[in-house]
Amino acid sequence: MEEDYFSIDAILAENQKVGCRFKVDIPDMGHLGGGGERNITRSNTLQLPIWMVYTVVLSDWADMIMPPAFGSKVRNALNAEPCSVRLANLVGAGGLWYGFGKTIMEMLDDKKEMSDLLTTTFRKRLVEVIDQAQYFAALGPAGGVGPSSDSSQSFREGLDGTERELFALAQEGSKRMKRWYEEGEKARR
Amino acid sequence: MSLPPALRASVTPPELELIACQQLIEIIPLIRMEKTAFIAGAYGPLRPPHRASIPIWMALNLKQKKKCHIVAPEWLSVEFLEAKIKQETTQAEFTKLPFRFAEISRVLLDGASDDLQNPDKLRTLLQDLREARQAKARAGLESLEHSILGLSNLSAMEINEIRPFFIQAMAVLRQLHVPETR
Repeated sequence: MEEDYFSIDAILAENQKVGCRFKVDIPDMGHLGGGGERNITRSNTLQLPIWMVYTVVLSDWADMIMPPAFGSKVRNALNAEPCSVRLANLVGAGGLWYGFGKTIMEMLDDKKEMSDLLTTTFRKRLVEVIDQAQYFAALGPAGGVGPSSDSSQSFREGLDGTERELFALAQEGSKRMKRWYEEGEKARR
Repeated sequence: MSLPPALRASVTPPELELIACQQLIEIIPLIRMEKTAFIAGAYGPLRPPHRASIPIWMALNLKQKKKCHIVAPEWLSVEFLEAKIKQETTQAEFTKLPFRFAEISRVLLDGASDDLQNPDKLRTLLQDLREARQAKARAGLESLEHSILGLSNLSAMEINEIRPFFIQAMAVLRQLHVPETR
């Protein structure tokens, strides 16, 4: 999430490929696409790693195609019900959807729209993240089987890496509070 | 850092309890003691039956040895707490309570419940109050922003509970935020 050069999270979030449609012919670089072709020709579409996309797009050799993780289908689903979208599944291993989104946002001219999408999604899901974290903290070490519904189970599995961290923080905090209050009750008996 | 993530951002509830126990409380001593110097300051003299102000930790210690009665703070009473719960459930903002009410009420209920009036009722009321305030904090989460967060009248224990994930969530929002003008 950070822009720090050494941030592991930032490196993981950028471990993605983005489609680019080339505007110019580039000779002898066909191997980038992994195919057998020798040259990149105009209007070819290749999946390039993000670090290369920066240069290619800024030099105006190609247009970036919005990755499907932020495409209109996902946007519509997020507008309808943010909590039912599995963010982790959208971006593959590690599942840093927000981090990837931020990277993409930096490359766009219209940053506002993307920022709004990410912020609104994050804020709407946050309450559910914290609610579930507190619920699981309240269960205690013994109770693992609660009346947990399928939708909340699927929500937890779809948590993005950033949200997962928040979940752990909230759960740990609630647990400590619970322990402290219970210590008092024990002393009384 | 080698500290677990949850400890980096906040202190633990027992630490807060320790800090809260530095506050002064009124007692009715049952023993005589001259003015005595401690690291935190000089307390005393204790002359029964006159009231004296000493730190909570010392009061609890004396209480344990049956050498004093603790005078309950005025906010630790059924009427006061009932009024607060009413305010809490009818108003949108948090009601004003002593900053360390959670810690102090717990140590007093644990160590000196026979000096309080109706301790069981107090416990239930404090629990209700806590739940009402938690519900409000949760509602506040929905309007979390990247830059500011108003927490007027929140107590030390409550701030400490929400601090780790609130600051983390705000950090994420700050990353996702685009400044309007550049």
